[in-house]
Amino acid sequence: MLKFCVKRLAFLPFVMFGVTALLFACLQFLSPEMRASLYIKDPRQLSQLDAVIEKYGLRKPVYIQYGLWLKQVAHGELGYSETAKMPVAQAIKAFFPATFELTLIAFIPIMVIGVYFGVLSAVYKDRLIDHVSRFVAITGYSLPSFVLGLGLLMVFYGKLHWFPPGRYGLETDMLVHLDTFRHYTGLLTLDCLLNGEWTAFTDVAKRMVLPGATLLYISVALLLRITRSSMLEELSKDYVRTARAKGLPESVVIRKHALANALIPVVTLSSLLFIGLLGGVVITETVFDFPGIGRWGVQAAQQLDIPGVLGSTLLAAFLFVMANLASDLLYAVVDPRIRVG
Amino acid sequence: MSARITPMIRLFLVVALALGSFPTNVFASAKNPTTYTYLTISDADSLDPAYSYDTASHMIVLNLYEPLFQFDKTSTEKLIPLIASGVPSRENGGISPDGRTYTITIRKGVKFHDGTLLTPEDVKWSIQRFILIDRAAGPSSLLMEPLLGYASTRGDDGKLLPTVWEDVNRAVSVQGDKLILRLPKPYAPLLTILASWAPVLSKAWAGKNGDWDGTEQTWQKYNNPSKESSPFFERAMGSGPFKLDRWDRKTKEFILTRNDAYWRAPAKIKNVVIKGVNEFGTRKLMLQAGDADAIYADRPLLTQLQGIPGVKIIDDLPTVEMNPVVFFTYKINAVGNSFLGSGKLDGNGIPPEFFSDKDLRKAFAYSFDYKGFIADVMRGKGTQATGAIPKSLPGHNPNGKKYSLDKKKAEEHFRKAYGGKLWEQGFKFTIAFNTGNLPRQTVCQILKRNIEGLNPKFKIDVRAVEWPTFLDAYKASKLPIFVMGWNADYPDPHNFAFPLLHSKGDYPTTQRFKNPEFDRLVEEANAETAIAKRKVIYAKLQDLAYEEVPQLYIIDAVRYRTQRDWVKGWFHNPIFPDSPYGGYFYSLSKE
Amino acid sequence: MEKLKSAWKTLKRRPMSLLGFALIGFFLSVAVLAPVLAPPEAGSRDSYIIPQDGYSPDPVRPSKAHWFGTTEQQYDLYYGMVWGTRTAFAVALQVVGFSVIVGILLGGAAGFYGGWVDEVLMRFTDVILAFPDIVLAVVIVAVRGPSLENVMVAVTAVSWPSYARLMRGDVMSVKERDFVAAARAIGASDARILFRHIIPNSIYPVLVVASLSMGRIVITAAALSFLGLGAPVGYADWGQLISLSRNWILGSAGNPFEYWHTVFIPGIAIFMFVLGWNLLGDAVRDILDPRQK
Repeated sequence: MLKFCVKRLAFLPFVMFGVTALLFACLQFLSPEMRASLYIKDPRQLSQLDAVIEKYGLRKPVYIQYGLWLKQVAHGELGYSETAKMPVAQAIKAFFPATFELTLIAFIPIMVIGVYFGVLSAVYKDRLIDHVSRFVAITGYSLPSFVLGLGLLMVFYGKLHWFPPGRYGLETDMLVHLDTFRHYTGLLTLDCLLNGEWTAFTDVAKRMVLPGATLLYISVALLLRITRSSMLEELSKDYVRTARAKGLPESVVIRKHALANALIPVVTLSSLLFIGLLGGVVITETVFDFPGIGRWGVQAAQQLDIPGVLGSTLLAAFLFVMANLASDLLYAVVDPRIRVG
Repeated sequence: MSARITPMIRLFLVVALALGSFPTNVFASAKNPTTYTYLTISDADSLDPAYSYDTASHMIVLNLYEPLFQFDKTSTEKLIPLIASGVPSRENGGISPDGRTYTITIRKGVKFHDGTLLTPEDVKWSIQRFILIDRAAGPSSLLMEPLLGYASTRGDDGKLLPTVWEDVNRAVSVQGDKLILRLPKPYAPLLTILASWAPVLSKAWAGKNGDWDGTEQTWQKYNNPSKESSPFFERAMGSGPFKLDRWDRKTKEFILTRNDAYWRAPAKIKNVVIKGVNEFGTRKLMLQAGDADAIYADRPLLTQLQGIPGVKIIDDLPTVEMNPVVFFTYKINAVGNSFLGSGKLDGNGIPPEFFSDKDLRKAFAYSFDYKGFIADVMRGKGTQATGAIPKSLPGHNPNGKKYSLDKKKAEEHFRKAYGGKLWEQGFKFTIAFNTGNLPRQTVCQILKRNIEGLNPKFKIDVRAVEWPTFLDAYKASKLPIFVMGWNADYPDPHNFAFPLLHSKGDYPTTQRFKNPEFDRLVEEANAETAIAKRKVIYAKLQDLAYEEVPQLYIIDAVRYRTQRDWVKGWFHNPIFPDSPYGGYFYSLSKE
Repeated sequence: MEKLKSAWKTLKRRPMSLLGFALIGFFLSVAVLAPVLAPPEAGSRDSYIIPQDGYSPDPVRPSKAHWFGTTEQQYDLYYGMVWGTRTAFAVALQVVGFSVIVGILLGGAAGFYGGWVDEVLMRFTDVILAFPDIVLAVVIVAVRGPSLENVMVAVTAVSWPSYARLMRGDVMSVKERDFVAAARAIGASDARILFRHIIPNSIYPVLVVASLSMGRIVITAAALSFLGLGAPVGYADWGQLISLSRNWILGSAGNPFEYWHTVFIPGIAIFMFVLGWNLLGDAVRDILDPRQK
């Protein structure tokens, strides 16, 4: 087992190297002027384009820039992100926990609802509940997230004033930045509780309801589909037929035998699903004014903030390898037939 | 009441709720009465007044720091003293008869946010620092040009010029309680520039926190610095009515708090929050809910903000900008240029010198629908521009000649162009606009539509490009036509005449045209200090520009402001950064 | 002929599948008949550019002049929707088509040859999978400009690895089956075995996944349009059209449903397109899956 983990982790630098090399290869096509556009936004600055190019060394050929960047990273220095206006490492520390917290909070209901209705749909295949839950799931899947987000915001914030956008209000903002407030976990909801700040906790928590609901509605379809087809696979297997033939009640057949096996692919894919969710939050973060890594990553890419893009891409690659590892380990844990290594 | 009414009331309630016509946000009094919140879309660059050039940063700087003079409330011409104790003029001897020496007395008793006294030395140091920092694409040349006579501290090789230190000390010095400025030649807009760009920072605080200490030995280290190296990037030490509590770059907000020890009466508002929220729908909902007191929104979205209970719209606010403007490139760079088509006058492209033909430019001028643009895109607000100088500045000629949509005249000029060959052969080229800018996009579409309608052999493709590509093509003079604009650095006609029409100005350099008569007039008007005489020269300049038509001016735009009813004390000055949203928070209150 | 007959029988048993076929058939006919249903303006060089009726910013509700109303900047929604059907198919087919082909080739080779070929190819797909897809799309568009081709390139570039992985797994399991061993015993060449035996037997899951992804592509394009990366403004693309509704979803002060048509019309089309492909995908699986017979 350990050897397996080590082998997988040894693979990590290769992936990160590959991903960043690929990115630099794309950037090969950018002229120095295009790269300078990150710093020139106002027509009054246009005459200074050359000066900016010289200042930031943008004329150097891309492979040299890549080499320099690698050297920098080897020393633990990730560079400065112009779009975040802070060093890349600091930006990751600032934005990632928020996205992680939101995704985590949305993920639990996604799993529960997706699996529950997935199983239900499989057991009652082609009956009403199957059609209805699949239909509802598809509406979420085919609805662009900004439509859903703005719609929810309009009703639950605009009309009812229950769940505002943003990460926190002004008082919580002041509170959280005091020296006396300790950040134990990086997850703001948890930290508020650990610090004993109940009002702040409710403020932060209520602002996650709508973005969480948006993520939930859009992604539950995928989980439902996977659970359903996996369950259908199991239910058509010989041992289930045998159990039925033996006269066992249907619910026992389902719960004791088929379900556990059906959930194997669901569980093993869960870590990858989680990572997929992390990658897709940018629109939700934009609509709900949530200071997360999705929003920053895309903004960095749009403005050609190269250190920022590289930093967020490295993080994504890292998470991906970790998720794969977790997935394989989970697979080994839940399926006794598999032995890794 | 009869029994039939109650179900009707219930029905009404259901319908009203469904249609959302219930007034949901009528507050008797202001929400968060001591905090003013404004939602914007742009990210600020740096709080260092000598580093940043963008309006998002300067909107904050305006309230944290104070310059020598400020504009008298809504005026863009009259100055009143702020850190200075009087405005120098020829009459009071503050400006020498030859216009080259300014003597400015510094007010006593002004304190910085940390309680230390503001001295004339701080003023001198701030102005010198503004010039010496000279970061690439920064604002330093705005003061360097008038005070030193040149626009960069570095030569073409990137090395510092040898005389900079000596020049800057000759130009800016202190005598007792007076600041002395010595100019190489008279520069009419100097005081206006000082009012717009030269706030006073604390020299002592800078030295203690890692910035320049004011000495000759160290200044070179701070020339062309990186943004985050200065303490002034994210912290402030000024004398203004507000202090900086925090710039949170994670949530994109500035939090300012009232300076209770301000040298005048303290502000009425206790906290100011300027937050970046990119999504319009979200901003609108926050305004409606009272969680925001003012939000940024551009002209096309006006109808969505009208009629909201508790929200006021103030329109017809003048601007100091010329935007959008259509620019013709006289000598297009043909190397690797896909915008030119075949590159020849054969009906499938255009030659590089296409727009150097005056009849062609006139034909384009007559092909644009100015009135339609204003009516449709600007919803009828604003007036057609009469020249390069906007309506809100002296030098604007209200009777200036302007073009209008005239298909007959357009055809006439098209037929004349290139001795008639153009009409026979036709042409094809691409106009690019940078994505996300609706007015500029529409300008391109209007030109395409109207010109293609004149002759089926005329083909114009309109293409959207991202900003980096646009900038790249613009810089290399590859764009046959580009649509851009110009925002004032300071409210003086020279700030428009020079960049738009002088051969050394930004735009003519890219357009690759040079008109010695334009140059002469621009320089003459700048050296002249009597405003009446300047107006005459600018009128002549704009008439000439009408004839030559190097650019198409479209509109003298007006802007609108959306704010909650309970916000009081706001006034408009078009020179404020991010006007009409930026301004002095000092005068605001909420009730 | 036999196969078709049995396929039809399977379908008839499941009305949902018929619905899927019907929906996709409907969209296909609209796409084919686009020039008839929404004739382009005279003299227009690109029929995919939606005609504008003036330039005023507010969308206009459906009326006799514009059956589906107009979007902001007065693009005719009916025209956009009709030609957008072509775009939807073109994008979905090209992206999924290329991804599947590349996936089959690379995944097939990896599964079949195993060893270091497998290692190299799989590590390569890992690198691509690890890449955040939106960032890649943004960078490609930043370099080459907003256009549908670039969007397709970007989405294809990140979609093929899943098919490759899938194909590889299938090939590896089919490889072990008896008929392959038999073919080898007779002395059949590698290529013959690969193309005549292995690929036809391992391709089904790939096809099922492909049909399910067709609908997904339109959603991805809409998301990219929202971020400003999709087709240029004014291009007939459902994703572009629905992202034009972004600033109008909240309606005006008196009426939140003032501009309902800008959201609803493209939205319902996208929904039905996705639904159609989902049902179709299920139908394809039902037909090809031996256990369901």
